[in-house]
Amino acid sequence: MAPALASDPISDAPAVPREKLEEIFADIQSHTLYDHELYGCLNCGICTATCPSAHYYDFSPREIVQLLWTENLEGIYDAMQEKIWACAQCYTCAARCPFHNSPGGLIMIMRETAIKHGMQSAKDVLRPFSRVLMKLIATGNQLAPNMITPDAFADWGPNIAKIDAPLNVLRKAIPVPTLHTMDTAWEVNIKTSIELYTIWEATGVLDQLEKIDENLFDVITDVMDEKRADYADWLEEQNAA
Amino acid sequence: MAGGNIPGGKDAQGFAGFGAEWRPSRLSPEDAHRATSWVEARIDRRELLVNKDQVADVRDLMWQLEKEGEIVVHRITDQHEPVTGRTIYGWEKRIPTNYLWHHKSCGQCGNIPGYPSSLLWLMNTLGTDYLDETDQTSCTAWNYHGSGIGNVVSLAAVFLRNFHQAYVCSMAEGLPAGHYFPLVHCGTSFGNYKEVRGYLLNSAKLREQVRQILGKLGRLVDGKLLIPEEIVHYSEWLHVMRERINEHRVIDCSAIRATVHPACHVHKMVPEDVLYDETVLDGNRVAVSTGLLQTLGAQVIDYSTWYDCCGFGFRHIIGEREFTRSFAIDRKIKVAVEEARSDVMIGHDTGCITTLDKSQWIGRAVDKIYDLAVMADCQFAALVCGAHPYKLAQLHWHASPFEGLLEKLGIDWQQAKAEFEAYLKEVAAGRGETLYDPRRAITSGPGYVPPALPRANA
Repeated sequence: MAPALASDPISDAPAVPREKLEEIFADIQSHTLYDHELYGCLNCGICTATCPSAHYYDFSPREIVQLLWTENLEGIYDAMQEKIWACAQCYTCAARCPFHNSPGGLIMIMRETAIKHGMQSAKDVLRPFSRVLMKLIATGNQLAPNMITPDAFADWGPNIAKIDAPLNVLRKAIPVPTLHTMDTAWEVNIKTSIELYTIWEATGVLDQLEKIDENLFDVITDVMDEKRADYADWLEEQNAA
Repeated sequence: MAGGNIPGGKDAQGFAGFGAEWRPSRLSPEDAHRATSWVEARIDRRELLVNKDQVADVRDLMWQLEKEGEIVVHRITDQHEPVTGRTIYGWEKRIPTNYLWHHKSCGQCGNIPGYPSSLLWLMNTLGTDYLDETDQTSCTAWNYHGSGIGNVVSLAAVFLRNFHQAYVCSMAEGLPAGHYFPLVHCGTSFGNYKEVRGYLLNSAKLREQVRQILGKLGRLVDGKLLIPEEIVHYSEWLHVMRERINEHRVIDCSAIRATVHPACHVHKMVPEDVLYDETVLDGNRVAVSTGLLQTLGAQVIDYSTWYDCCGFGFRHIIGEREFTRSFAIDRKIKVAVEEARSDVMIGHDTGCITTLDKSQWIGRAVDKIYDLAVMADCQFAALVCGAHPYKLAQLHWHASPFEGLLEKLGIDWQQAKAEFEAYLKEVAAGRGETLYDPRRAITSGPGYVPPALPRANA
């Protein structure tokens, strides 16, 4: 049974230890950008008034800012279960806030922290993201033409393209040579994707991935080990020549 | 108020037109002021953004750090033929107009390929030199804002890595470093890079963290981080080139009622660094796209939800599109059609075009059928300059109906479609046409062929 908040009057689940709540808040507060995103709050609510997600979800950027500003540890933990994932990251709130707060930026800090702590909410929410993560980390592109299929995007309608022709021919008919691809949005140099992977390794991003999806992490590391070996072979051939 | 109730005087354009049939109300100046002052005070850009403590210009910090030997600045030189624009605070921003390095967009290239192809076609038409190559990664910001996987250090390292490549890529053509200047296609990349540049310039700790990584990648210049003089969005290039683009216009678009969706990550993220123009809606809204459309002669029609986002959501477009499509239809498309009677919605960002275009079809399930054409500013500009709607503007990748718009522009889309279908046979036989020599796209690694001589146009 997942732990609940001590203040939850209904749940029989064991309470989240106070130390855990403090640890999570300490991670949020010590984030490099925390002081850059939060300066104060008068509860004016202009952020929520202009927030697209507030139209459709039980979500309010004003509430998030208040929870952090008042150091409401239980409320912060509770918001990290679901609410923080409602934010559309448009930064309208930041553009409007008279205090120069960035509620959208604070949400990102909380999302990073949810991942760092391996919260189940983050794992659940990011499950549909695994194909994209795989593509991005292993190739350096977020999206590929062959990912956009009628099955995956049924609500986009029957016509992925309004011309009936094989995808590879339609892609070759784009007059931009780097776009003659199906597995990536544009053709990415092997050296380039290895450089990006080196950045992922050096900045702890792969650790984040392992925390959220161990299987995906294993697949990606295998793919990239192979890619690195291929590139090393190519370099060796060049040197020999 | 002077000027027939139009804010800013008789020559000003007001906050937007209401189309060709609009007529002034002929209220007295006092009555007009009484009727509009409350609204103006609230929608004026200065009320929204400038009525705060003045923010610092990070470029001052950039020049200081260069002076102190901490960083190297990739300069915009006379060769780049810069045109000076102004930002919301009136600061100057130099937009390079020639010798450009294309920083492509994942979503555009993956799913709206007519977006980059129209931009490159316009550049060919204007004689602008550029490089589009394979040595570029995603900025990774779509993923970061969607999933939370990534961090400031990774985003900063990717920014520096890609912009370093923009600096050195010309050496693969036998030209000096700095020959090409980066031009960012995606609105999220633009917003993210502006934000990350600010963090880097303000934090010695972050600079030290990324210096280690960039050093390992061999992407320092004389042991220093390389920062571009400006971070430039393609829509800013279109804006400063709009008069020249209009010289190539062959189609009258004065009957077109266009609505503009300004992209959040272009004008709300680091809002002090994007072009505003006193000649475009009195400088009260971001100038890009609107200025281009007005110059091309289209009617730019106002609508009440212009400030709203599109509903893309980064995470939502992938895993929770109930929100995306509801917001896109109810807050943007429906309003543009019912309130502005729009023929086309024009945007300048990847996610917005995707969302506003692709989200419409499902509206049929609840009788919300609006059928509004959606495309990027550069696609519209290319069309009215005579680009082929399928071969160049690649409109067949768009889900929402664009055929009615083409008819209103006097373009025979059925004939164009038949031409394109015939052309596909040529493509299948390996006889496709491209906008530049494909060999230029590979600047290192497998497939790279060093040039015998530097390119002639250096």
